[in-house]
Amino acid sequence: MSHESQAAAPSLKVVPPRPSTLETPPLVKGDVSLKKLDDDIIRPLESFPTRRWWAAISVTGTLAGFFLFCFAWTIAKGIGTWGNNNPVGWGWAITNFVFWIGIGHAGTLISAILFLLRQKWRTGIARFAEAMTVFAVICALQFPLIHTGRPWLAWYWLLPLPNSNGIWPNFRSPLLWDVFAVSTYGLVSVMFWYTGLLPDLATVRDRAKHGLRKVFYGILSLGWTGSNRSWSHYEKAYLLFAGLSTPLVLSVHSVVSFDFAVAVIPGWHTTVFPPYFVAGAIFSGFAMVATLIVVLRKFFHLEHVVTEDHLDVMNRITIATSLMVGYAYMIEFFIAWYSGMAYERYVFLNRALGPYAWAYWTMFSCNVIFPQLLWIRKVRRTVALLYPIVILVNVGMWFERFVIVVTSLHRDFLPSAWDYFSPTWVDVGLFVGSIGLFLTLVLLFCRFLPTVSVAETKAVLPGSQPTGHGGAQDGGAHV
Amino acid sequence: MKEEPIQRPPIEDASRGPLRASSPEGKRLPSRHDAAGIPVRDDRPRPPRDLSRRSVLKLMAASAVLAAGSTACTRKPPRHIVSMADSPEYQNPGAPLYYASTWTEGLVPYGIVVKTVDGRPIKIEGHRDHPLNRGASSAAMQAALLSLYDPDRLRTPERKGESITWREADEEIIAALRSARSAVLITRSSLGPSERALVRAFERACPAVRHVVHETVHDGPRRGAWRKIFGKPGTVRPRLDRARIVVSFDADFLGTEPDALGAIRDFSRTRVPAGQDGEAARLSRLYVVESAMTVTGSNADHRVPLRPSRMPGLVKALSGALKGHDAPLTAFCRKHGLDSAVLAALAKDLASHQGEAVVLGGAHLPESVHAAIALLNDAIGAPGKTLEWNPEPPALRVDDPAAIASLLERGVDVLICLGVNPVHDWPGGGFERLLEKAKLSVGHGLHADETVSACTLSLPSCHNLESWNDAAPLPNLRSLCQPVIAPLFDARQEAASLLAWTRALTANGAESEAPVDWFGWLRARWETGPLAASSSEAGSLRNAWEEALRKGLAGQPGSVDFPGPDREAAEALAATTQPPSGDFDLVIAPHHALLDGRFANNGWLQEFPDPVSKLVWDNAAVIGPATAARLDLAEGDWAAVGAGERTLVLPVLIQPGTAPGVVAVTLGHGRTRCGAVGERRGFNTAPLVGAGKDRSAPRFAANAAIQRAAPGSRPAGQPDRYELVRTQKAFSQEGRPIVLDCTLGEYNRDPASARKHLHIPEGKQLDDEWDYSKGRKWAMAIDLSACVGCGACMIACQAENNIPVVGKAECGLGREMHWMRIDRYQDGDEKNPEVSQQPMLCQHCDNAPCESVCPVNATAHSTEGLNEQVYNRCVGTRYCANNCPYKVRRFNFYNYTKENVTDPVRELSCNPQVTVRSRGVMEKCTFCVQRINEAKFRARNEGREVDDGAIVPACAQACAAGAIVFGDLNDRSSRIARLAADPLAYRVLEELNVRPNVAYLARVRNPHPDVPVAGSGAPDRGDDQHEGGGH
Repeated sequence: MSHESQAAAPSLKVVPPRPSTLETPPLVKGDVSLKKLDDDIIRPLESFPTRRWWAAISVTGTLAGFFLFCFAWTIAKGIGTWGNNNPVGWGWAITNFVFWIGIGHAGTLISAILFLLRQKWRTGIARFAEAMTVFAVICALQFPLIHTGRPWLAWYWLLPLPNSNGIWPNFRSPLLWDVFAVSTYGLVSVMFWYTGLLPDLATVRDRAKHGLRKVFYGILSLGWTGSNRSWSHYEKAYLLFAGLSTPLVLSVHSVVSFDFAVAVIPGWHTTVFPPYFVAGAIFSGFAMVATLIVVLRKFFHLEHVVTEDHLDVMNRITIATSLMVGYAYMIEFFIAWYSGMAYERYVFLNRALGPYAWAYWTMFSCNVIFPQLLWIRKVRRTVALLYPIVILVNVGMWFERFVIVVTSLHRDFLPSAWDYFSPTWVDVGLFVGSIGLFLTLVLLFCRFLPTVSVAETKAVLPGSQPTGHGGAQDGGAHV
Repeated sequence: MKEEPIQRPPIEDASRGPLRASSPEGKRLPSRHDAAGIPVRDDRPRPPRDLSRRSVLKLMAASAVLAAGSTACTRKPPRHIVSMADSPEYQNPGAPLYYASTWTEGLVPYGIVVKTVDGRPIKIEGHRDHPLNRGASSAAMQAALLSLYDPDRLRTPERKGESITWREADEEIIAALRSARSAVLITRSSLGPSERALVRAFERACPAVRHVVHETVHDGPRRGAWRKIFGKPGTVRPRLDRARIVVSFDADFLGTEPDALGAIRDFSRTRVPAGQDGEAARLSRLYVVESAMTVTGSNADHRVPLRPSRMPGLVKALSGALKGHDAPLTAFCRKHGLDSAVLAALAKDLASHQGEAVVLGGAHLPESVHAAIALLNDAIGAPGKTLEWNPEPPALRVDDPAAIASLLERGVDVLICLGVNPVHDWPGGGFERLLEKAKLSVGHGLHADETVSACTLSLPSCHNLESWNDAAPLPNLRSLCQPVIAPLFDARQEAASLLAWTRALTANGAESEAPVDWFGWLRARWETGPLAASSSEAGSLRNAWEEALRKGLAGQPGSVDFPGPDREAAEALAATTQPPSGDFDLVIAPHHALLDGRFANNGWLQEFPDPVSKLVWDNAAVIGPATAARLDLAEGDWAAVGAGERTLVLPVLIQPGTAPGVVAVTLGHGRTRCGAVGERRGFNTAPLVGAGKDRSAPRFAANAAIQRAAPGSRPAGQPDRYELVRTQKAFSQEGRPIVLDCTLGEYNRDPASARKHLHIPEGKQLDDEWDYSKGRKWAMAIDLSACVGCGACMIACQAENNIPVVGKAECGLGREMHWMRIDRYQDGDEKNPEVSQQPMLCQHCDNAPCESVCPVNATAHSTEGLNEQVYNRCVGTRYCANNCPYKVRRFNFYNYTKENVTDPVRELSCNPQVTVRSRGVMEKCTFCVQRINEAKFRARNEGREVDDGAIVPACAQACAAGAIVFGDLNDRSSRIARLAADPLAYRVLEELNVRPNVAYLARVRNPHPDVPVAGSGAPDRGDDQHEGGGH
């Protein structure tokens, strides 16, 4: 029996134990056998895609194709096809870059930090979040390259490759730090994700009836046998990657924020940026995970694996990070006033009241005002109520980056240089197209890889873990 | 491509600094001069010392084999390469040669020095010894280079669009002239003495010919008034350098009036605060009463916006005040809402500065106003002191268009238009109808423009740089114009054509002795004229001619006694003033760069922002904010601008400072035939010229009206709101300490008073600093008291540094490429704002924010303090531009140069010493590093140090005000070192600790002490200012 019932025994009145708030519900709902779990998660990989899937990927694929077209158009014609101009040297491309990098953060946070903190509820969403990280990094990586004037040189001049000229990159430049931070992040994320996939790939391989599928998953699973030795190595590697990834969660977006914080431009030159960016990244990442997983669990019938409790917990993190970014927005105003710098003050007043006030207030309401509804438990747990909010957070976080990049640049020190930035169809095409690319990758992922970690979920099934109190049936993870 | 070597000596005068410094023959030993004193080069590539006959044979054999082998396996180059087998004398491959010449801008012949490399002119500079511009150059002068290489020029003679030969054209014209009973020759007014003589010879040879002069932009009303007052023709030249008080009635003498370069030069000499630069204290006071905001008004110590039709009243009231009757002036101020303190101060200043004050009237004002102004000048003792009389004006008097029209109306047998474009700029329009009445019409011009293409015969003219000519800028002074390149196309000078026809018509007559060619005519006239006096001393006409060629000048400008005015005539003329008859006054000014439209096909000038509105590629109807609000017009709205019977529909531009009741337009746009660059840009306002009631002043109308245009009346295919592109969008300093200034009183109390609100914390350095105190440290100083904001430096920079033109659409997106811009701020009352101007360019910061953020090290600091941009290495992240606090870096969003320079002729205009940038790279001001290196190499070869002043960047060289000084900060005796340490010197955004190397000398204004300070200079405004510097 549990603590509570033992403690309740000496009491005078015997009442039926009411559901305690301290008692966490099981992470996987319903009577799920190991076989059924395998079936539930892996079946989509083994059946022919549904019509809905085809419909979805034809839309996202078209968008991804349009992305490639805009990409090629930019390379062929030049940055002139964008809306960038003289004070506003960076526009949507850098906004998109920071946006996508930020999206990725939730995945690493869930898979690495929550793993180290033994947050078992993460199992339901970890795989998907990690996949999302990888895809978001892929989308993000498109932008720094094409936003350069001469990408055919930039792709290798930015790397510290030995060359006959003896010219090295400039190690003082935050853009170079970006190259190292993002490439490290991308590599570690991919390896971490793949390592976690190994046992599940082997399961898919073992279930496979078709020869081609056997070979495909056989190669991918790298000869996994499920032996104690495999598991032992696997657990060590996984822990190691979790340890490696954990600092990256904090470092990558800190380094990205240095692109701005190291500059002299008012509105960029701010010490609060690293923590502010990390909080914002986790905020947007969780919103994106929620956005996608709500759809996924519905269409792939995984409501019992990814439960309302998962959504609840994710939304709690969302509101926590929402408060952090809200704090950052307000402290920026205070510091601008407190600094006594006319330029600094002007930039923030201009954000809130100037020609881009619409963008600022879109950002503020989406990121700070609407998420306050998540204080309500019912909103956190009801898909129809939480979904608009997480969508708005995605929008708001894109606007946050837009506000930082564009409003700081468009009116800086000398009024004579001030101007306004308007995007072109290529700007819009690249952004919308990158969403298409991202969703296409997500859809392919759903068809070819297990979207939930089968092996880990089995470990959190009711009764799979000893509780230490003798009872096996009420096992489950503590959130 | 025809490039014939030109065998003429380059200018060389060892006594002169920069000319000598910029000439390839830096140091010359006397023994290396030939008999004519012309230096001889000896630094051609020398053969190896041990080159024997055998080794020569070996090398020849080897190269023959190599040549045979390589021709067998490679394709021929697609274009012919013209060898320099007959290399011109003095010519060294890649080394520049300089030739002195003359460039006529509108009515004024300026002296120029043309830099040529390998036989092609690549840069035009002002001539230091020319008394009008004295080394300075204007935007149009700089851009003349681009017009030379204009691929849209007319390339061969044409008959109704069909190419013909010159012989065929000449035969037809001569036959027509022989049989003609009436013929008209229309020329521009700026004919040189030799050309005038030729026109007279032509008239003698063909008595049927009547010569008339046509210009739309001229100073006719002013000259007309003077002629009536002084009884003889001539012009008056203000000597601003002698004036302590300058008063302008709508005279934009620092901008669009003739000889603005001389005026800027003279005026800036009087704007030197005490103690600075070793010169004596001289600070004149400028009062400007004007209709539209102009460059001159922007520099005023006191500016009074006023309708021109009210100016006669003011002049009269001022004259009264000088005689002691103050009441009319006070009444006038009260009636028209003017600041009586300012005008009382003006009257007081005029009274107390006898012989040290001058009053100027705009060339477009009616004769009656000029008569009143002449009387005022007479009363303050200006004639002979601050005004000089020139009995031989360099430009001819312009004929009345109505008289010309009545001549042509009757139908003439031959009409010859030489270098004029009346179909475009005929006052009131409608010249094409007159043109059609001529039996044979001949158009001679640089382009197949509106007139030339409408004529039966279209004849291509030579460009100024391909022509022989002369001019008389001042009494007793002649300047010479010499070709620096053979005609690029099958073109002929207008004078050469005229001479050919004259000779044919007088084949057996008196003038058959005349020289065969135009050069011979010109030289013969010089040898009998200007050279005759000096040659008797020098002993040889040939030497005198070569000396004149080398200098570009002959004679010494003499002074002429000022004729006595006929005061009664002047008063009678002044009394003819008509009161305004409409709600608005219309003022038609020449375009600040295109003048009357003759330079319309020049991209540099189209993209040269208006110094006041910063408008590019367009013109508009300019009104003040209050007028716009009253008429409910926003910028770009269509307005019907009418005067008399004529109405034009133009987009509206709102310019603070425009006087109430004034509509200002500029000429020069709306060309329909001039080439790809200038066609369909802006609107032709020539139809409004001459619409006023006063026929003596065609560019002014007191009976004008403006209202919102009816929806159906706007030009076909135009949107509801026309897009007017300005290169600057925000015009307020926002209370920031950017352009600092102080009054003379404040300056006298504390020379550093302009800096009093700057708060500059002590800069700390995190990493090791480079020690710039050793070797050289380049720096620049810009004197804001001297700078008038004309913007000629921008175009000089563009010409020197191969800066591309991007077009109106790209300018609209904020992508103009100028490395240098003139920032303009208008603060305070928008009816009459306080204007501050500041040339802004790369500040070459020692702690450059751009350098640390470039990921590929494409921008770095040199050991001499230059912020260098390595185009080869740049990948175009634009991070540097973002991080530049001055926003002076320019990105090649497209391949601007390659897209625009499609014609091989146009390629020739590029400066071979400066890289042409491609798409995707950043660029910016280099402090003209090519000039720095050239001077350094020369000094090193000669085994000496670089002299102070030997390096002159293109902007500084062009500047008429001498506001820009460049040099080595480590040379303690240099001008730059003294200026950088001046109490007025400050650095923009110094508080950021970026350590800029451009020092600005705060502007010292000189308002009258009696006038209360309304909204004084920028740094004194606003409470925020005290915190502006940061803490």
